[in-house]
Formats: sequence, C-alpha cells, structure tokens
Amino acid sequence: MYAKRFEPIAGKGAEIIEYLMTSPDMPDSQELQFKIRLAIEEIVENIVRYAYENGSGYLEASTEMCDGYIRISFADAGKPFNPLEKEDPDITLSAEDRSVGGLGIFLCKQLMDSVVYEFKEGRNTLTLIKKINSKEDE
Amino acid sequence: MNVTINQKENNYHVILEGRIDTTNADQFQHEIEPLMTAKDANITIDCAAMEYTSSQGLRTFLMLQKSVIAHNGKLELINMQPQVKEIFDITGFSNIITIK
Repeated sequence: MYAKRFEPIAGKGAEIIEYLMTSPDMPDSQELQFKIRLAIEEIVENIVRYAYENGSGYLEASTEMCDGYIRISFADAGKPFNPLEKEDPDITLSAEDRSVGGLGIFLCKQLMDSVVYEFKEGRNTLTLIKKINSKEDE
Repeated sequence: MNVTINQKENNYHVILEGRIDTTNADQFQHEIEPLMTAKDANITIDCAAMEYTSSQGLRTFLMLQKSVIAHNGKLELINMQPQVKEIFDITGFSNIITIK
C-alpha cells in the first residue's frame, strides 16, 4: 500500500494532493487523473480546513488497487464529520436561487464510483473508489 | 492561472488561462471583481486555455452569474475544454450559465 501520514496538516493541502497523484496506483489516463484529482482536492481541502481547530492534527493518505479499482483513503482524528450526510445541492435551481456553497462533496460523489465514510476508533475514514479501465477498454 | 480582461465600453472580453484550484481561487475571485460590479455588461470569457477548476472556482462563476443578472448584464463562456465542461454539466452549471 502507498501511504503517508501528514502532521500537522495546516497549509499542506497541495502537498497531500501531489503525494496522492504521484502514487504508482494512479491510472495513466489523463481523463481519469483529472477526475481523481478533482475528487481528492475537494476532500483534502475539507479536511485541512475543518477537521482540526488549528490544523495541528494529522491526515493519513493512502492508495491501493483492488480488483481493477483504485481506492484512495483518508483518515484523521479530527471532529467526527460524515460529509455524505450533507444534502446534495438542487442542480435544477436557477442561478438566482442556487447557493454558492456545498458543491465540493457533491462533485466528489459524482466523479467517483463510490465514496464510503466510517467513524471508527476515534477516526474519520473516507474512501474514494474509482474503476480503472484496462487499456483495451479505453 | 491568468486572467486578462479587455474592456471596450460595455463589452468585456476575458481570457482565462490555467488552473483554478484551492491555491488561487481567492486570486481568481479578486481578478474578476471588476466584472461583478459592471452594469449592463456584455461579458465573454474565453475558456480555451482553462485546464481545470475545483468547486471553489465554480463558486466564483456562480457569484459572477448572480451579479451579472443583478446588474442586467450578459455572460457567456466560450471554447471550454470538454473535461471542464463536464464539471459544469455534472453540477448543473451548464443550465444556469451560457456555455458556447
């Protein structure tokens, strides 16, 4: 498994994203990388900003391949927060009626095949799962 | 990320280049500030060289669209790369912002 612990995480968003994007598990497809980067960025920024009061805690970031799927996991010991409980924005509203926030997690869910949250042993763990097509499928 | 604004009377032709992400979303918002206060503005943003936007960039596009409506203006995004367009589609932004 490709994994690293970042501590403290304050100001390390870009570094954590780059660490994950240079994983050997990352697909070659530029299109998939685009989607994965966007999903990762939304999650990392949320954790860096909100998990800890002062950004002094840690974030464990890892990737692994499993049956043709890349799994990207995040674990922190910050306040319990399940991003999946957040209500999706109503994308049918007009510009005037749409609120400007709440897009990050929604985008992440739309771009990945699945997103799994667990709170266990005092840690938030969030896993993004995306199917990586083999060369022949592309 | 680079924003170039060419203004001729009420017409604003904007060239947006590079990536809009967490590291520069505030800068992006700051740079397009003049477009948010312009009245009756006819704004075209050329997105041909825009490679990426995170949700924070989208937020700014929505704020711009809202202010354009409030100021009786017009906003059009042109030449958007397919990958970026997909992000606008997924979030429903293609329905509220004119993309050509």
